[in-house]
Amino acid sequence: MQRLDVVNGNMAAAIGASLAKPDVIAAYPITPQTPVVEYLTQFAADGDINAAMSEVESELSAMSVVTGAALAGGRTFTATASQGLALMYEPYFRASTLRLPIVMAIVNREMISPQSVWGGQQDSLSVRDAGWLQIYAEDNQEILDLVIQAYKIAEDKRVLLPVNICYDGFYLSHMTEKVMVPEADKVTAMLGRYHPEHIILDPDRPMAVDPLTNGGLVMEYRYRHLKAQQAALEVIDEVDREFADLFGRKYGGAIEEYRMEDAEYALITTGSMSGAAKDMVDVKRSQGIKAGLVRMRMIRPFPKQRIREALAGIKAFGTVDKSVSFGCDTGIIYQEVRAALYGTYGVSSVPVIGGLGGEDISLKMMGEVIDAIVTAGEQQQDQETIWLMVEEG
Amino acid sequence: MELKSNYIVSVGGGGVHVVNTGDWRTKRPILDQTVCIKCGSCLLYCPVNSICKEDDSFRISYDYCKGCGVCAHECPKNAIVMILEEGK
Amino acid sequence: MKQMNAVDKMASLEDMISPGISACVGCNVELTLRTCMKILGKNTIFAVPPGCMGGVGVVGWDTESGAKTPVFFPLLDNVASMLAGIKLYYERQGRDVNVVAFAGDGASTDAGMQCLSGAAERGDKLIYICYDNEGYMNTGYQRSSATTKYSWTTTTPVSAEGRGGKRQHKKDFPMVMAMHDIPYVATCSPAFIPDLIKKVEKAVEASKEGLAYLHVFNPCLTGWGIKTECSIEVSRAAVESNFFPLYEVEYGKFTINKKYKHPKPVKDYLVHMKKFRHLNAVEVADIQAMTDEKWKRLEQLAEL
Repeated sequence: MQRLDVVNGNMAAAIGASLAKPDVIAAYPITPQTPVVEYLTQFAADGDINAAMSEVESELSAMSVVTGAALAGGRTFTATASQGLALMYEPYFRASTLRLPIVMAIVNREMISPQSVWGGQQDSLSVRDAGWLQIYAEDNQEILDLVIQAYKIAEDKRVLLPVNICYDGFYLSHMTEKVMVPEADKVTAMLGRYHPEHIILDPDRPMAVDPLTNGGLVMEYRYRHLKAQQAALEVIDEVDREFADLFGRKYGGAIEEYRMEDAEYALITTGSMSGAAKDMVDVKRSQGIKAGLVRMRMIRPFPKQRIREALAGIKAFGTVDKSVSFGCDTGIIYQEVRAALYGTYGVSSVPVIGGLGGEDISLKMMGEVIDAIVTAGEQQQDQETIWLMVEEG
Repeated sequence: MELKSNYIVSVGGGGVHVVNTGDWRTKRPILDQTVCIKCGSCLLYCPVNSICKEDDSFRISYDYCKGCGVCAHECPKNAIVMILEEGK
Repeated sequence: MKQMNAVDKMASLEDMISPGISACVGCNVELTLRTCMKILGKNTIFAVPPGCMGGVGVVGWDTESGAKTPVFFPLLDNVASMLAGIKLYYERQGRDVNVVAFAGDGASTDAGMQCLSGAAERGDKLIYICYDNEGYMNTGYQRSSATTKYSWTTTTPVSAEGRGGKRQHKKDFPMVMAMHDIPYVATCSPAFIPDLIKKVEKAVEASKEGLAYLHVFNPCLTGWGIKTECSIEVSRAAVESNFFPLYEVEYGKFTINKKYKHPKPVKDYLVHMKKFRHLNAVEVADIQAMTDEKWKRLEQLAEL
């Protein structure tokens, strides 16, 4: 029987990680992730998990310690946000290119400057091309489930890549919701043990790890890495189905589609903003507008085919980004969706930026966004970027 | 696309890489066994592990010797001299 | 350890490194590496960060390795942390494996200092060997915090008039590590092989309790401008002048290994190398004064 619990997003991540029974956990605090490592070290102190904990002295070491443990053959976990993610970029890039199935929670937080500790998706999206898989959660149940599923996806022999489970800082990390906690023995049965065959540091099987490498081989390794990312698209669907069989919850794979079957206007969202967005889709539908929502779960690899299928036949879409793409005057996910749709015609769009630095994206704002998408469709023209600014007073 | 390596990631699982450093030499050390007092300093200080001890005497191997001259310089009895390498 | 015991040991133990690596002719870091790895043996995983030993092929090329034990490239700045992760996993498995760093001064006293200090403080059970050739030699002899004052390096060059060189004294890094109160810290020299062997063996034992740190002073023949055959002579002069004294520290308790009744003047050490060719009398005296001060401090620490 799954047990009911009432937890915040950080605790959901910590519970998910502990159910996966990692061998080594690196703990370093950063707002709004801090409670994750506090909960995990408490679990260890209470004897609820059996992982080796390393209270490292910076995020650079956090990623380095789990990389070392993964090279030795262990299952690992750590978590970070924004500045910490930036600080660990050097070993972060290596974790994926060494094909190590590390799982790391990123509690999405705005990047400094200016000084902000509040939510924003700039951090994880800025490093989307460092080779990791990235999956974004909408609520705390999904966080918990995703951390477990992440190990199954990462350790799959067709993938062997590290996974980021991303969730909005404060909006999810510090918000309390009801969750159902999967049974520990069933999770253990689902995940099994991690047995690396492709890379190991073990005196019983001596090999050099990462010798100086010529360009031809570099290209081969990158080729295989890209193929593994593509393979992950299938694996995430398989794991989604397996998890549904075991625990009764299904999320739909790389994207979630809400009322898209006959939609003419599509709203594309990522993370916790999707709740208000779905509510506004319902409001607009009741007013006769054929609105629908696509929630991006997987950003890496980018589910190009699923997007093209979901958006086939629509007149216009709008993407709400909690990020900016500095060179393009739009958000980041907007760029990715447009690139995926290249070659399709008759679809207009409106890029929307909102929720930076923890700003609220209200129901009313979502209404304005859908109105703008409708305008784009009627005018058959792409719209200027809309910035969702909170009104004074 | 035809891939040359079986590895999916950068590993050196294909044995030990050996550089033919013996080719570098311009001088080679010659040990005079009659002068040698068998202190073993040459063996201790050879950076390329090219001096071995067989029974009770020391022998220089020329496979990897780079001709640095440290053994000759450190020998307390000048039992080792460096002579010009005349090529193989 | 007596010389002959050391000789027999080195004669009989297996060389764990590829017999042919592209280290400079006479390189005493190569000597140090082969010596240490003979003692550490097969049951070792070692990390070689970017630097001389990595550059000459100790980690390997393409799909071949440079060693007979597992070896890897950490990043320049995270050597100790990657090793900590490896050791944590092996401890968990109940498997005893030597987890070793063989890192230059750049990786240890500069870029990787944070990770090393963190691992020392946490008591990660590692053997960390720093080969101090006073600079980033593999990239072309740039200065590091371990470079001696007045040294010519490519980032602290000397003018046509002979003025210049590094403006700061050498960071006393063994002392920094000693102040972490870890189980074992020792300074070593390739000119004193029996002493080095003993210290590696002690480090292996000490790493069962926490981090063991060995700081080896390796005069760089190519980067400092030293005749190759003088490699060991110069290393010896550094010790015999008290410029680089040999000592051990166990949980903060200091023991000096070599005391000279009449230490050589530092000038006898400096004279061997091109990187100090431009020094005037004032500068030589400055290095002598620093050497004397450090020695006095060391003696006082040993008396505590």
